[in-house]
Order: sequence, then C-alpha cells, then structure tokens
Amino acid sequence: MPYELLILLSMLAVFALSVFLLKLPSGVALVLSAIVGALVGGEGVPLRHLVEGSFGYLDAILIIATAMIFMKVLDGSGALGTLGHLLMKSLYRWPTVLFIFISFFVMFPGMLTGLSSACILTTGALVAPAMLAMRIPAPAVGSFIAMMAVYGMIAPPINIPVMIIGGGVDMPYIGFERPLALASFPLALIVALYYRIRYVRSIQIEEVLSRLPAPLHAKHGLKLFAPLVLVVVLMIAIRVVPQYMPDIGIPLIFMLGSLVGLVTGERIDFWQTSRTAIREALPVMVILVGVGMFVQIMTLTGVRGFLAVGALNLPPAFLYLGIALLMPAFGSAYASASVLGVPLVYVFLGKNEIVVTSALSLIAGIGDLMPPPMLLCAFASQIVGEKNPFQILKRSVPFIVLSLIAAIAMIAFADSVVKLY
Amino acid sequence: MKRHHIMAVVLLVAVALVCTLAAREFMAMNQPDEIIPGPGVKTVGALSNYLGNLAGTSSNASVYYLDSGKPGATVLVLGGTHPNEPAGFMTAVVLTEHVSVLEGRLIVIPQVCASGFTCTDPLEGYPQSFSLQSKSKVRTFRFGSRGSNPIPEWPDPLVFLQYPSGQQLSGNETRNLNRSYPGRPDGTVTERIAYAVMQLIDREKVDYAFDLHEAAPEIPIINAIVTHEKGKDIAANALFTLETENLQFALEMSPVNFHGLSHREWGDRSAAFPFLMETSNPIQGRLRGKTDATLVLRGTDEKYKEAAQLGTMRITYELTGEPLARRVARHLRGLQAILSASMESAPEKRIVLDGLPTYEQVLEQGVGAYLQ
Ligand SMILES: [Zn+2]
Repeated sequence: MPYELLILLSMLAVFALSVFLLKLPSGVALVLSAIVGALVGGEGVPLRHLVEGSFGYLDAILIIATAMIFMKVLDGSGALGTLGHLLMKSLYRWPTVLFIFISFFVMFPGMLTGLSSACILTTGALVAPAMLAMRIPAPAVGSFIAMMAVYGMIAPPINIPVMIIGGGVDMPYIGFERPLALASFPLALIVALYYRIRYVRSIQIEEVLSRLPAPLHAKHGLKLFAPLVLVVVLMIAIRVVPQYMPDIGIPLIFMLGSLVGLVTGERIDFWQTSRTAIREALPVMVILVGVGMFVQIMTLTGVRGFLAVGALNLPPAFLYLGIALLMPAFGSAYASASVLGVPLVYVFLGKNEIVVTSALSLIAGIGDLMPPPMLLCAFASQIVGEKNPFQILKRSVPFIVLSLIAAIAMIAFADSVVKLY
Repeated sequence: MKRHHIMAVVLLVAVALVCTLAAREFMAMNQPDEIIPGPGVKTVGALSNYLGNLAGTSSNASVYYLDSGKPGATVLVLGGTHPNEPAGFMTAVVLTEHVSVLEGRLIVIPQVCASGFTCTDPLEGYPQSFSLQSKSKVRTFRFGSRGSNPIPEWPDPLVFLQYPSGQQLSGNETRNLNRSYPGRPDGTVTERIAYAVMQLIDREKVDYAFDLHEAAPEIPIINAIVTHEKGKDIAANALFTLETENLQFALEMSPVNFHGLSHREWGDRSAAFPFLMETSNPIQGRLRGKTDATLVLRGTDEKYKEAAQLGTMRITYELTGEPLARRVARHLRGLQAILSASMESAPEKRIVLDGLPTYEQVLEQGVGAYLQ
C-alpha cells in the first residue's frame, strides 16, 4: 500500500469517527483529521501549516458571515417575507414560469460573484419559505437550492473555478460566456421542470400565502427593498463599470446593505441580529477553516499528489468515469479546480480547451456538495430547517449524476459542442 | 464560574498560544535574505529610485549595478518575479555575487517581487526557506509566494482587471507581478513594482531584459525562451547554439492578446528586447508528492516520476530529478547564449561577463560554489 494512501485513510477514518461516533461538528472533525494526517505523515504537529491552511478560505468565510447578517436583517425588516409573498402572488397561475424564475433567481448571486454559498444565503434563503409553503419536503427544497447554487457558480459572467484553472495554464478569461451558459442553464432548467412536475400540480395560493409571513410593502412602501437593490446594484457596478466603482469587496457590500436595512422596514436590534446570524453561520465557517487545514496537510504530506496522479493513472476507458468520481471528491470546488482541473486541461490537450475547462469547472463545482465538508448541503439544511445535511445530499444524487454525465459529454465531444453555439 | 465559562477561557488561552507560536514563524519571513555583493557590483540601489512611493515598504527590492565603466549594452536580469521559483532568483544571486562585467553594464534585481518573499501561499504546504553550502558558510534563502504579500491590500478583488487592457483574470492575479506590467505609479503594490521596473528600463536605457522563471513540470512552456516579435531572431540564434550543446530549448512567441506579461509589455512599451526563461520546478507542480525544502534543492519527486512514465500528458521531468543546480545552470547558459546572439545582431552593443560559471561547472559543483 502506498504510504500516501495510509495517510489518506487515517485522515478519513478520524473524520468519520469524529462525526459519527463522537458527534463532533464536521469542521472540528476536519481539524482533527488534518492533525492526525500530519502525524501519520511524519510532520509532527506542524502549527505553521495548520494555521496557514486555516486562512486558505478566509475571504469566503467573511463573505458568508456578512451575507448571513444581511439576510437576517432582510428577514427582520420584513423584506424577505414580502418578496416571497409578492413572488407567489404574481406568478402562482403559471407554476412552470414560477419555477424557472425561481431557479434563475437563486442562481443570480452566484453568477455575479462566482460564489455558490452566496446563492444559498441570499436568494436561496429568500425562496425557501415560499417553496416550503407549497408543501415541498424540506430536504427536496434544500437540494433544489444547493443544485441551483452550483449552477449559479458555474454560469457566466463570473466563474471562479475557470479562473483558477486559467491561472494555472495561462489562459485568459475570454470567450467562456457561451460554453459556461451551456454547462449551467440547461441543467438548471431540467431541475426546475422536474420540481414543477414532481411536486406541484396547481398552487393553492390562499393556503400558500397563509403560511408565509404577512406582506409589509403597504406599510413601508418600496423602500423596504432598498437594501436588496443596493447590494445588487453595487455587485453589478463593480463588474460593469469598474473604472467608476472600485471593488470594495463583497463583505463590505453586504454590510452596507445591512446598515441600510436597519432603517427601511420593521425595527431591528442590530447586535442581536448579528449574533444570531454569526451563530448560525458558525458551523459552516468552521468547515471552511477545517477544509483549509485538511487541504494544506494533504498537500504537505503528498496525499494531494497521490490523488492527482491516481486520476491520471486511470486506464483511458475509465478516465472519464474516474474524473467524474475523483474530482468532486476533493469536497471543494476551488481545491478540485486547482489540483485536478489544471493537469486535466493538459490531458485533454487538442480538444477545444475553453469547452473542456468549462466542463471541468462544472465537475469541480459539484465538489462543493460533497463530503467531507458538504458545504452547500450544510448551508441548505440550515436554510430549510433540516437537521441532517446527508438528507439533502441524498436528494441531490440524481441531479449530481445528470450534471456529471453532461460535463463528461461536453469534454468527450468538445469539438462538436463548439459548433452548438 | 460556570463550566462553559471555564471551557471558553481554556480555549481562548489555547488559541492565543497557537497564534503566538505560529506568528513567530510567519514574522520570521520579514527578515531579508543576505545577498553579498560580489567583486562586480559597483553600486547598490533600490526600486524606490525609480518610484519614490516604494521607499520604506516591503516591496522596495534592492538593485545591483555591475558596471564595467566601458560603453556597451545595458542588460537587466530579474529574479524573483515569482518568489516560489527559486532557480530564477538563485541565478540572479549567482550573477550578483560571482560575476564581473568587462564591457557594458549589468543590472540585477534578484528578488524583484520583494514582498512576495515575506509569506508562503496558503494550502500549498510550502517550506519557508531552503539552505545550501556556499564557499564560506551555510546560506539560507526564503521560499516565497507566487504573488506579492496579500496583507497590505487585503482582500483581493474577486476579479482582477488588468490595467490598462481591462483583461479579466482571477482575483488573486492582482498580486502577480507578471500580469501587472506596465503598472501605474498610484496603483496596487504590484502595479507599482511593475511601474518601477518599466521606469528603470527606460531611464537606464536597457537594451536586453531578462525575466527568470520556473514552472510546474506539466506546463508546456517549460524549457522555453519566450520573447517578443522583435527578439525572435536573437532567440532563434541562441537556440541554435544551445542545441549544438545538446541543451533543449523551445522558442515561444509572446501571445499578442495576453496582457500584463513582461515579454509582451516590455517589448511593446520600451526599447528593450525582452526574454523570459522557464525551468522545470517540481515543487510548483500540482502532481507533486511530499512537499519540503529537499524538493526545492534536489527536485526529486516520486509522483512526477510516476506521471512522467505514464505519458498521459506531457511532463518535463527527468527521471533522476530536476535539481536546483541544473535549473540554475540552464538559466545561466541560456542567458549567455542570448547575450552572444545579441552581440552578433548588434556588434556595437557589447556585453562581456567575467566569471560566469559554465553549465557543467554549476552541475558538478552546485549553486553554493558560486555564492560568497
Ligand atoms: Zn513564474
């Protein structure tokens, strides 16, 4: 047995033991398994590496913290409930349109920021109550939002995994709009239609509305939505007119939105709201700290290289299958894009590399759903009030398989795909 | 005190302890490397001579002037554009410490992205330094991060808009010096370094400018000389010479529409002929196994050995390893071949170096033999 495999197995064993036996939060389990991995790898307890790794996803952690505060403010001010109410009321007669609209709505923040978690925390949290009110089971709602978050991260204009791969192979981020649209929108549409057909016959609007919070737009007027408008406008502005609007950072944009939200609706205790928000976001933030340590120790001890070479080592017939199974197994879109995405672009040299990279980003994106961290499932479970994130993962399996097949087909037939657009 | 209060205090103390211990290791990287000017160095300056607002910052790299006092060509050599590419900056250190100039002038900036030498990249598990035995003692050099230190301007934008082209790149490329040319005097730290280098090229009337790099073994442009349209003939002639010595180099032309790179922007915006060289650096690669300082020096990696034998993709990795000595030797020999070729095409611009070790010498005696 290669020594790296032994390290990997001991890391996974510690993770599983900590989660299932000791009932520790998965973030803490990741920290423990990183420490054990370093010990087994003969590195002792490398404090510097553990701390350095924990900072690997610091920016994402800040975005999550501030987005959570922003959503709690929107919720408290009444904007969230009112928006869900208005959405249902205006579209309930056309459930198909409603579901397509909801899908693209959830994807939207991910398209702008390239962050899957932003979808779940903002627009996902917004539509979840309405979907639950339609009596769709909580795990199914969670799975819907989590899948849309993945597609939103992949959809143009911003796709961070593609940029990470591009940075590794010296490929500028040009000409990706269409292949990325192809890798995301059709899949989102299929999932949306599936939910429409599977869960909704006709919408009993009175019953649904009665389960949503009472609308407040009559009381506060349009200014109720000012924080949301501000955040969307700022996010678009830093992309579209960067020469006039400096990139102040997504966390600051969410904080500005939160501050505006304090005076545009129902009265809110800002400190109390922030505390609740951070408390709810904490498990996911800890996961990101843990994933960072986990990846750093995998790299330090050579486990990362072991996995990457293992993927290349697959016989050609199994290469596609292997990629589909191994790439998401990194449990994080960014890690997967950087470790396997970059070498794989070279493996498929000769095929249209823009299409190949777009498809690889979709496979990497699925990684955000997968254990150990199960980042998106953990988030979605919080939003829909489902205790066990594995339930959400389970519901997502058919969509994950579908997405992987689509991505593999895109790679295999990359040169024909080019002619599609 | 309640039980959970005691727990909280214990945890806080533990975190404080971990932070203090780790911080000492991180802070140690602010200590500059010792570079001992050799007999050829006439003056030592800094990038702040070319852009004042770099003075007093961690980005104010030292500039070494090796002047023969005789007329001829002015040659600029940059090492450490990417501080995680040690053969690039060690080649520049060898030039600074060991070489003299008989005709013309040589300007060396061994660690041009000085701020990048003060940290390592998270998630990469990199060592913070590596050591080798010189003529007199053990010399230690820092192993830095690909970009400049993120702390002064943290956080990176999600998307980096290259100035002035407006080209979009991943946000962390904001700190990549080799995407930041021509830079601007009031821009980001990295854009200011780029601007200072452009100013230096103009003010010192640099004729030939070198940017020394390394890359992951799976990157196709390894062992290439990348140049601008105007440097094509010189590079092709140099390649011919190198081939007769059984040293494989490939000629790569700078992509016209990929902006911010030294070979593109120096070529377009200055009188200098730009040349960028890459060697194969396993510790940068994504397939590497155990990551430590030995990998920097010996360049032997089981995972790359395996991958190179597989043949699924093109990998530039000799099965015996890619030792630092050979990578530095290649850079030195490539540099010399290009300078000779340049003198053939412009005989009035002469540059003659003294004490430049040969390829075989570096291979046999190691890099340390050519350090003070
Ligand atoms: Zn480089």
